[in-house]
Amino acid sequence: MRALVVEDEPTLREQLVDTLRQTGFAIDQAGDGDEGLYLAQNMPLDLAIVDLGLPGKDGLSLIQNVRKQNLNYPILILTARDTWQDKVDGLEAGADDYLTKPFHMEELLARVRALLRRTGGWSDSVMKFDRLSIDTRAQQVTVDEKVIELTAYEYRVLTYLATNGGKVISKSTLLDHLYDEDTDRDPNILEVFIRRLRQKLDADKSLNPIETLRGRGYRLALTRSGAQD
Amino acid sequence: MQSITSRLVIGTSLFIVLFFVLLAVSISYSVHARAETARYDALKGVVYGILGATDIDNNAMLTVSSPNLPDDSLNSFNANLYAEIVGNDRSILWKSNSTVQPLPETSIRPINDWMFEKVTNEDGIDLLRVQYVIAWELENGEELPFIVHVAENVEDLTTQLKRFDTVLWLSLLGVAPLLPILQWIMLRVSLKPLRDIGLEIDEIEQGERDTLSESVPKELQALTGSLNTLLSSERERHSQYKNLLGDLSHNLKTPLSVLQNIGEKNTQTGQSILQQTELMKSSLARYAERATLKAPRYLSPSVFVAPFIQRIANSLYKLYDSPTVNFDVQVDSSFSVRIDETDLMEVLGNLLENACKYGAHNVHITSDHDQKAITIKDDGPGWPVGDLSQYTQRGIRADTHTQGQGIGLAASVQIMQSYGGRLELVRIDSGGAGVILYFS
Repeated sequence: MRALVVEDEPTLREQLVDTLRQTGFAIDQAGDGDEGLYLAQNMPLDLAIVDLGLPGKDGLSLIQNVRKQNLNYPILILTARDTWQDKVDGLEAGADDYLTKPFHMEELLARVRALLRRTGGWSDSVMKFDRLSIDTRAQQVTVDEKVIELTAYEYRVLTYLATNGGKVISKSTLLDHLYDEDTDRDPNILEVFIRRLRQKLDADKSLNPIETLRGRGYRLALTRSGAQD
Repeated sequence: MQSITSRLVIGTSLFIVLFFVLLAVSISYSVHARAETARYDALKGVVYGILGATDIDNNAMLTVSSPNLPDDSLNSFNANLYAEIVGNDRSILWKSNSTVQPLPETSIRPINDWMFEKVTNEDGIDLLRVQYVIAWELENGEELPFIVHVAENVEDLTTQLKRFDTVLWLSLLGVAPLLPILQWIMLRVSLKPLRDIGLEIDEIEQGERDTLSESVPKELQALTGSLNTLLSSERERHSQYKNLLGDLSHNLKTPLSVLQNIGEKNTQTGQSILQQTELMKSSLARYAERATLKAPRYLSPSVFVAPFIQRIANSLYKLYDSPTVNFDVQVDSSFSVRIDETDLMEVLGNLLENACKYGAHNVHITSDHDQKAITIKDDGPGWPVGDLSQYTQRGIRADTHTQGQGIGLAASVQIMQSYGGRLELVRIDSGGAGVILYFS
């Protein structure tokens, strides 16, 4: 999952970036509205967290511009402005949720997970596919109730495929959503992650969780079950 | 304090009374004087006429030719004009036929002296009389002094003058009360623009209008213009004040977020930081809100409520992932209240979000023009058993399982009160919770 953080206060931005990275996000970050808009329009994002009071272009205009370009990833406004008028203005501009400062990181993460679940059509924090279950809140993956230990990148690959359950995801898209802009990308490493994931999730080769479509990409091949909108 | 109209009417009435008394006295005096002067002039003519009809021979025998007298009535026995010629020794040298009764005595006057006076005879009848002292030069060079004494019964004149005085006083007394009434009417008409301004100021205080009307007489334009400028600058000042407080509060919240995130790292210092940030957060919320809740109603514009409800409902659809909640907005589009937009949205936002938080599926919002009220009813679990008024106090929540700090409902109550309105919690027969907002 790739998230954009637009926040002008450097310490808070760092805290957000660190927390989201630890949660498995690839991060783009900006300290002003203009750079934020550039990233918002040009990066393959799954989510954006935007402050309203920004130097350069303000947060509301940034969100409006993003929506005008038919970019539909969820946007969470993170702002000190806590009146209902600000809230309604932000949501009308195109944001999907609104969190006021000061906030608890746990609440921010819960809102982020909820937004992503909503995007994938999930109403619960646990995504279930046949015998595979991904608890996005605990960042825990189980197969047949047995906890599978995954590395951060393996987890990212799996949750991205799961969130887009059923859709074919190209290698480059997957890489875009896994890595920060400034990270050195090697497409071959993706194949390594996929292979390792298959081994960990499907040791007896009875599940076949990830399907490779030659020349097109990968797809989570399991049938979705459990709570679904 | 007395009104300008009553002061003017009372003041002018006193002046009018004084004016009319002086006017009546003056008119009466001049008419009387003029009438008497005319009579004296006539009597003077009679004196000359008598002298013309008088002849004195060398023996100082005085004769008056009756046919040559200037007025025939002197020859009549029951006339009102009397004449006599009196010698220096008070002997009557001649008297007219009309002089049946003796005239009041003449007085000794110098030669060629005219004397006019008003006297009363023995019968008590008013007489105007003229005495003229003349020295008749005889042919032998001697001079014979005598007095021509003419008097007239002026009963008729006195009666006429009395009648005139009566008519004069009555007519002035009749007109006098009309003048203050006329003046009162003119003042009412002239001061109407001032009364209108007073009414408009009342309406502004009641929050029924924004500014004073500009269509006033030009004498008052400076006043209304200045008041309108004062109102607009006061609104601007209030809004700046509110924005500044908002900015201060917002600028403090970002560093608070940073501190809170540091505090969330599970260390002893972190715990202390968390405690302090919580204190700072609640102080910020309490004081910033308290400071902004002092807006006089007349500083707030009139706003239509329905669009705000719809906007908040749409936002809540987004936040609470529709279609879990359905807002049925039946608010008349012409229903307006005088309140700051931000405050209106705060009240409605808190209440409608509460309905979402506490598990309602259908929320009905209706308006009542007559009572100036908005009613929000939901089909959620309803208010808990007990005294409903406790839930409108800060920090007390109707449940403990949904997020929030319990200040939403209390904040809405405070906002409503600060605009002179109130918020009432009601139980719905079918089980849900209801809130009625009464705008003043």
